[in-house]
Amino acid sequence: MRKSLLAAAAAALLAAAPFAAQAQSEPFPNRQVKLVVPYAPGGATDIVARVLADRMRVTLGQPVVVENKTGAFGILAMEEILKGRPDGHTLMVGNVSTNAITPIIYKDKMKFDYETQITAVARLAVIPAFVGATTAGDFKPQSLKELIDYAKKNPGKVRYTSAGIGSYPHYDAAIFAKRAGFDSVHVPARTGAAGMVGDLTNGDVHWAFINVASVAGLVRAGTIKPLAVITDKRMPEFPDVPTMTELGFAGIGTFNWQGLFASAGTPADVQAKIAAAVNDALASDDVKAALARAMGTASPTASPAEAQAWLKSEIGIWRKFVAEADIKLE
Amino acid sequence: MDVLSNLALGFGVALTPMNLLFALIGCLVGTLIGVLPGIGPVATVAMLLPLTFQLEPVSGLIMLAGIFYGAQYGGSTTAILVNLPGESSSVVTCLDGHQMARKGRAGSALAIAALGSFFAGTVATALIALAAPPLAKLGQSFGAPEYFALMLFGLIAAVALASGSIAKAIAMIFLGLLFGLVGTDANTGSQRYTFGIPALSDGIGFVPLAIGLFGISEIIANLARGEESRSVLDRKIDKLWPNEEEFRRSRPAVLRGTAIGSVLGVLPGGGAILSSFASYMVEKKLSKTPEEFGRGAVEGVAGPEAANNAGAQTSFIPTLTLGIPGNAVMALMIGAMTIHGIQPGPLVMKEKPDLFWGLVVSMWIGNLMLLVINLPLIGMWVKLLRVPYRYLYLAVLVFCGIGVYAVGNSGFDVLLAALFGVVGFIFIRLRCEAAPLLLGFILGPMMEENLRRAMLIGGGDPMIFVNRPISFGLLIATGLLIAVLLLPAARKGRDQAFQEEA
Repeated sequence: MRKSLLAAAAAALLAAAPFAAQAQSEPFPNRQVKLVVPYAPGGATDIVARVLADRMRVTLGQPVVVENKTGAFGILAMEEILKGRPDGHTLMVGNVSTNAITPIIYKDKMKFDYETQITAVARLAVIPAFVGATTAGDFKPQSLKELIDYAKKNPGKVRYTSAGIGSYPHYDAAIFAKRAGFDSVHVPARTGAAGMVGDLTNGDVHWAFINVASVAGLVRAGTIKPLAVITDKRMPEFPDVPTMTELGFAGIGTFNWQGLFASAGTPADVQAKIAAAVNDALASDDVKAALARAMGTASPTASPAEAQAWLKSEIGIWRKFVAEADIKLE
Repeated sequence: MDVLSNLALGFGVALTPMNLLFALIGCLVGTLIGVLPGIGPVATVAMLLPLTFQLEPVSGLIMLAGIFYGAQYGGSTTAILVNLPGESSSVVTCLDGHQMARKGRAGSALAIAALGSFFAGTVATALIALAAPPLAKLGQSFGAPEYFALMLFGLIAAVALASGSIAKAIAMIFLGLLFGLVGTDANTGSQRYTFGIPALSDGIGFVPLAIGLFGISEIIANLARGEESRSVLDRKIDKLWPNEEEFRRSRPAVLRGTAIGSVLGVLPGGGAILSSFASYMVEKKLSKTPEEFGRGAVEGVAGPEAANNAGAQTSFIPTLTLGIPGNAVMALMIGAMTIHGIQPGPLVMKEKPDLFWGLVVSMWIGNLMLLVINLPLIGMWVKLLRVPYRYLYLAVLVFCGIGVYAVGNSGFDVLLAALFGVVGFIFIRLRCEAAPLLLGFILGPMMEENLRRAMLIGGGDPMIFVNRPISFGLLIATGLLIAVLLLPAARKGRDQAFQEEA
């Protein structure tokens, strides 16, 4: 019985082998393409990946599925795309935290060399942010200047929130406080933007850098007061909100970008094919409209080479930020 | 009058053939994934999210909502039949539901669960329609100190979950707290008890732990019993419908469970999880025969099932009225709204009344559909128990494996579930109960987070717990509870004391 089972298994393997070989020599894509997302479903990065996957499926003519692989600041998702042959069928949709900050601050947790083994194939979208303040309780500041003055007068009493230790809103707030010359207590939220919104609404924390998509409705309802936007020009949807540059804090505040990443071993022609499919999706009216409603903007790169150059420059910028903020990590 | 015209608007939206169809699809999908262990509403809603891009926003939300509360109905099925909790809320249903099944009352337990859930769903939906904004305010009055005090109370009360020795129950709670510590520390990013395994950096998953400790260990225990008694059933199956006594005992339990679930469900982050545990503890304390709990007490199914469904419905309140999602599914709903250009927040009710009221009314219609779907299925589920155990356990194991893998696409989780299955078997042999462990595991990290947040908010001054009235009240209640548990003289009057407090 046992023997015959083994024999059957061996026969099955032998029978399958030629197909496997054939599948590998066929041009990309010859099977399902997987987009690994380093966050739980529902966040900005997850939604961007799902909007994109829905469209890329049509362009590539193969199923495109999103797989959420959370944990270890995005490192687990990176390990996923480094597994197996680098043939472009397993890609990662990451954001500024996982793919520009993690490689700097959690380098020692990686069993691989991020800068030589992972490459950016395309930039996808950018989502701007507010500096928002709570309107709950007795918190009065109505402008960025009032926030700074209030914080200076009440040291240790003003608190800000972020998506977690070492997340980009944490760095933004720490650097802003440092440059403006006040102290503020960091109370990290455990559940990302959703937690940040809750804490700002009930007044447990007073201010934060928070992406526009997460709070637009609350800003219009007056629950959260926008003190500044991080965009170069004022946002047409919020013409009364000044920019950080206008207020004298040029260069502070991070656009949450999403990018598509692959194993660096992926052949150049496959990368080009993926980038073309991405750009086709980003140019489609459906995707543009979906992103616009979520207050984001499609932000394509012309080629994988351009995307990689952009990633390198982002990491360079973040190296300086990380050094300046000097946040203690254990 | 306003409410009537709003409800009329809601029925107008919810009763269009299109929206009825999507409510039905949502309920069917929800029931299915609720029955399958591991594969939960979060993954399903995420997968179906792109589908809603092409739909009217309200149709999409109706379907996604149906999946969420439909899963609450389905989740109790496997808990009762094979002791397999797919969701945190159905852990409690395992305790007495599965014992009822062993005694041949599976049909009755399933019927009580479905009827109780329907009643709770109806009341909770009415509550959303009548009092969503003030309830949302109540939820908002819970900051970190209040949560900490509430969870401390819950943890102490968890002792009541055990039907055996109190000392063992306390030990299991602590073990649960320890398991809950594994992972990345939220405030400093340092790794705790991860042994350099990256897969542990986000902590131990609830699904592998619960499926291992309950489902798999139960299978091992059954197999260890020897050939002839190797069955899910101790007795042959009685008639399917609950008898008069079961109805009579369930009624007050369902009412209390509905009240508890409706209130706790409003609290974002953790409230809904607590509701079924809280209801179980209350029922046990109020019961004249607490010794029956853990051995197939019908109140232990009726109360918690009502509570978790009520909680599932009212957890929509902060999402719809404030734009603050209380759990992962709600976060996805908010994401779906955003993609449709609806900015979640307090203005949704005013600017999109058709969406708000259509969704609310559809939830009630969905609950009705679920009742109609679930009651006829009971006969089929119970027949499943007659499948010879040597086939049944294999099928259950396979579904466990697939379910655990599907949660995080992680093979490591499957190994973890197997390991906890063995650990759970040892617990069974030692007569240690797993439910208090799971409650400690769920509450521990939330308690820690809220304690540290409260201390940060209070500037390092623990007086923050006393200065806030709600948290102070809960701490006093916790103190009373400890006194009652510790004083040997008070032991006799324990049940009475609980009655007065409640």
